[in-house]
Amino acid sequence: MKPAPFDYVRPASIDEACAALAVEESVVIAGGQTLIPILAMRLARPARLVDIARIPGLAGIREEGDAVVIGATTRQVEAERSAVIAARVPLLARALPFVGHAPTRNRGTLGGSVANADPAAEIPLVLVTLGGVVVVHDGRTTQEIAAQEFVLGPMMTALATGALVVGLRFPVWPDRRIGVGFHEVSTRASDFAFAAAAAQIALDASGRCTKCTIGIGAATPRPVRRDALATKLIGSTLDDTDIRAGVADAVAELEIMVDSHASPDYRRRAAKALAVRALTDARDAARGVPV
Amino acid sequence: MSAPVHFKFVETPRRVREDRRFVAGRGRFVADVRLPGMVHVALVPSQHPAARIIEIDAAAALAMPGVHAVVAGAELAAAVDPMMNGLDTPNVRRFPLAVGQVRYNGEWIAAVVADSRAQAEDAAELVEASYEALPFVLDAEAALKPDSVPVHPDHGSNVLLDRTFVWGDVAQHFAQSPHQIAFRVTWGRNSTVPVETFGVVVAWDPWNEILDVWASIQMPKYADQIARALRLPANAVRVHYDVDVGGSYGVKRGIKHTVLAGYLARRLNRPVRLIEDRLENMRAGDAHGPDRIFDVTVAFDSDGIINSMKMRALDNVGAYAGRAPFQLGKPVGAIVGPYRIKSVEYRAVSVTSNKAAQEAVRGFGQAPTNYAIETAIDRVAAALGLERIEVRRRNFIRKDEFPYLIPSGTRYDSGDYHTVVDKVLAHVDWPALQQQREQLRAQGLLAGIGISACLEPSGGNSSFEPLLNPKNTTSTWMESCRINVDALGYVTATIHTTSSGQGHETLAATVIGEVLQIDPDRIRIVRPDSLASLPGNSPVGSRMAIMLGGAAFHAADKLKRKLIRIAAHQFGCAEADVDYATGGIKQRGGPGQLSWIDLVTIAHRNFHLLPAEMEPGLETTHVMQVPTGEALPTPDGRVQMYPCHSFEFHVVLVAIDPDLGKPEFRRYVIGHDCGTVINPAIVKGMTLGGIAHGIGAALLEEFVYDDQGQMISQSFMDYVLPSAHEIPEVEIVHHCTPSPFTVLGQKGSGESGYLGAPAAVASAINDALAPLGIVMSKLPIRIPELSDAIAAARASK
Repeated sequence: MKPAPFDYVRPASIDEACAALAVEESVVIAGGQTLIPILAMRLARPARLVDIARIPGLAGIREEGDAVVIGATTRQVEAERSAVIAARVPLLARALPFVGHAPTRNRGTLGGSVANADPAAEIPLVLVTLGGVVVVHDGRTTQEIAAQEFVLGPMMTALATGALVVGLRFPVWPDRRIGVGFHEVSTRASDFAFAAAAAQIALDASGRCTKCTIGIGAATPRPVRRDALATKLIGSTLDDTDIRAGVADAVAELEIMVDSHASPDYRRRAAKALAVRALTDARDAARGVPV
Repeated sequence: MSAPVHFKFVETPRRVREDRRFVAGRGRFVADVRLPGMVHVALVPSQHPAARIIEIDAAAALAMPGVHAVVAGAELAAAVDPMMNGLDTPNVRRFPLAVGQVRYNGEWIAAVVADSRAQAEDAAELVEASYEALPFVLDAEAALKPDSVPVHPDHGSNVLLDRTFVWGDVAQHFAQSPHQIAFRVTWGRNSTVPVETFGVVVAWDPWNEILDVWASIQMPKYADQIARALRLPANAVRVHYDVDVGGSYGVKRGIKHTVLAGYLARRLNRPVRLIEDRLENMRAGDAHGPDRIFDVTVAFDSDGIINSMKMRALDNVGAYAGRAPFQLGKPVGAIVGPYRIKSVEYRAVSVTSNKAAQEAVRGFGQAPTNYAIETAIDRVAAALGLERIEVRRRNFIRKDEFPYLIPSGTRYDSGDYHTVVDKVLAHVDWPALQQQREQLRAQGLLAGIGISACLEPSGGNSSFEPLLNPKNTTSTWMESCRINVDALGYVTATIHTTSSGQGHETLAATVIGEVLQIDPDRIRIVRPDSLASLPGNSPVGSRMAIMLGGAAFHAADKLKRKLIRIAAHQFGCAEADVDYATGGIKQRGGPGQLSWIDLVTIAHRNFHLLPAEMEPGLETTHVMQVPTGEALPTPDGRVQMYPCHSFEFHVVLVAIDPDLGKPEFRRYVIGHDCGTVINPAIVKGMTLGGIAHGIGAALLEEFVYDDQGQMISQSFMDYVLPSAHEIPEVEIVHHCTPSPFTVLGQKGSGESGYLGAPAAVASAINDALAPLGIVMSKLPIRIPELSDAIAAARASK
């Protein structure tokens, strides 16, 4: 379990990093929580590691208008403990404890999780669910790619060679009564989930749903939003029957991941149960019921 | 030997002396042994489950920087003897590297030696092997068929062992019983998977002609086997036992690793280090456990009394023989569990397949067997509509029936199963627990209570060797201790094995302190190397409390009697007329009084004061035979297996979300009776760890091969161990039924928890599924499969 030989560079700036990444078979290392084990097992054998962890300005959490922008190398533990995230992006705050486990969150980064695009990863699911954006720099220009277009499939993204994820933009809902829910099922507390669901809703003063978004991950090759379901639920009071009926339809048409870890039927069944729970939690939280 | 009535140190909550160095990160493990000029080994694995090796081209690997050698099977096989088989199967030959043919995915075909492990791995990738793929077999039932591909063509078939024992009048008991139930349960291939993989450092000193070995071992007769395979005199192999072992529970056997490293060390004249990485360990470390199918039929009365049992156990040992087939023999000593089953037909079948070689795992086959027996009890209860605990109670051996002779020839030492059950049910509040199950069911969950009542045979004899191999006449499995008191009065005792977390230093010090009535913390425990050691068989078979504890007790008792003789001689009185207390001796009804240091001084310096013919100094030795281990098996296969039998009774409440299929523990209680507890912290740790291990076996852990013979679970990503999140708070209810066969009444506890937890967890899940009319009968029970089974059952209703 020793990695195959590789070169290592530590660029001092984003532009330097992009230049380094333009060289063939170069890969980014940030927190290393996914990369290091697969290097050790020689499942990946890049010619060169480009370490971006110490590039100034690439880490940090800041509010920008109607969004919170999280720098790519921000450690997951920083976001987990951030008052800004807790107040402004509560769905991310709810999901972060499910990401790996405490020691991996100490080093793992938010940008790394999105760029890695593991189907079971929680952070891309939250970003997709909220309609967030991946901020990408390619050495010349900075580009914003909708999360849904960024994550293409298992471990596949729209990131071009020589480009670097520099930040994630999470939309902030200004609504007064919002609620979030996040559920997943995995063999153990820190394992890759079989299925996961994230939901965020807003209610008006009368308890009617004014905004809704729901995303499914892990059961699918990439995180997906169920906009038709959201549309259907907006205007309802999100009664249990509304949620159950809507979710059943929304899950029936999901493209389910096929692998040896669980049957497609299981993933679909679990996704349905978890989506119901996520929406129910979100509703109850918005109603002020303790979840 | 009668036990003291009141213990001074035994049973008291004393600190485990080994814990200090481990908690501080100051253990000394094999990876901490670094010798000048040491070189490192990486292994080249087979990509095929079965193939003929056409050629191995090492030229590119040898050209890599830092590489000293690439050795393949042909070279090695010419220089060493095959490794020992447990059974009489001379045509199942095994060398550390594949010779001519590979027999499982991951099998080592060559070893690469380089200045660093990284260099060795780089070069190992460049070793080019060409193969001719051969047909392979993975499934035990398929391997058993006469037309199956033989894994070892020279052996002629895949059957290593197929023996049917009949103990008692099975035919009559079946004929007379109004009911029968037959079922199959399957135990998936799992293991103990220690955090520290196997490792060994070997150095050859040609000027002294001695091979020094530091290894992460837990292996009986390790030094002998190394010497034999390397064609060295046994006294040219020196194994250093003062190496901490980072976990084992059976799997740290390391014979092939050591033979290979020993050969390389001699060939290269350099110290050689071979430490498996996780991939090597999982794929080819000789570290998989039982992989077993049970077909069980029980015959019983309408009141739930089980009269007779037929059991076929089919075990898939993988590609080579080793000691693994004996794991079908050890359970013979507790084949009826804690029950008065009058007769048993037991067919033990061991087959080879193209999976990795199996080795010993905690319990040596007992945990799977207990799972099969406990499933039978649950099925009988279900068939008759009786309460599962009531059926157990009706079948339990009663406390006044001990020592109790079971049909297969073992006499159980002692037990009080009914009382342990009563204590556990009182502790859990049984009616309330049932009510809690109903409440969970009312919430839409599946909920079930699991029960298991199991024995832990302990005291590790090796009677399964002569039982299954008629050429083997082993009737002792001794353990030893030597105590020396130096001229300043300090006590040093020896133990002659490595420890993998069992706390042997604490054990020996506590027992010696108890006998000599001196503070155990003042007693030094040392581990001489194998050449300076007394006979021993290492900590297997839940034996060290009984055997090392026994040897330490007897050695200390000999020392005490010597002190008494010296004192009585000074006082001029009979030995019966002195009192020994806290190391000093007083004359009863007389003025004589000698302190510990007075006695030590006489023994060490005043030969003129010693009784006639007494040797000077204060040194005693005891080599202990296993209690009850007197005879070879009878021709019909009856044998006293182990001397002692601990009892455990599990009650588990689980809740399962029917959609997600994830069992969650709501309560876990174990009643545990291992006789006199020498150190409560050690026993508690064993029990908690054993339950965690058992939960892993029940729900998570399995070495899986795909239908191409490729091993899928090669790392901790796919071979899933329980973490702290998955293990519930465990409540332990103690009971003590001392063993009449041991010095302090102690029994074994090194396998506690693991022997009953898989059965209990399976029982809980099946109780939860009972309303749906389905059962899960293969371990591990994985979340997706459980949910799918629930969904199918609901859909068909």
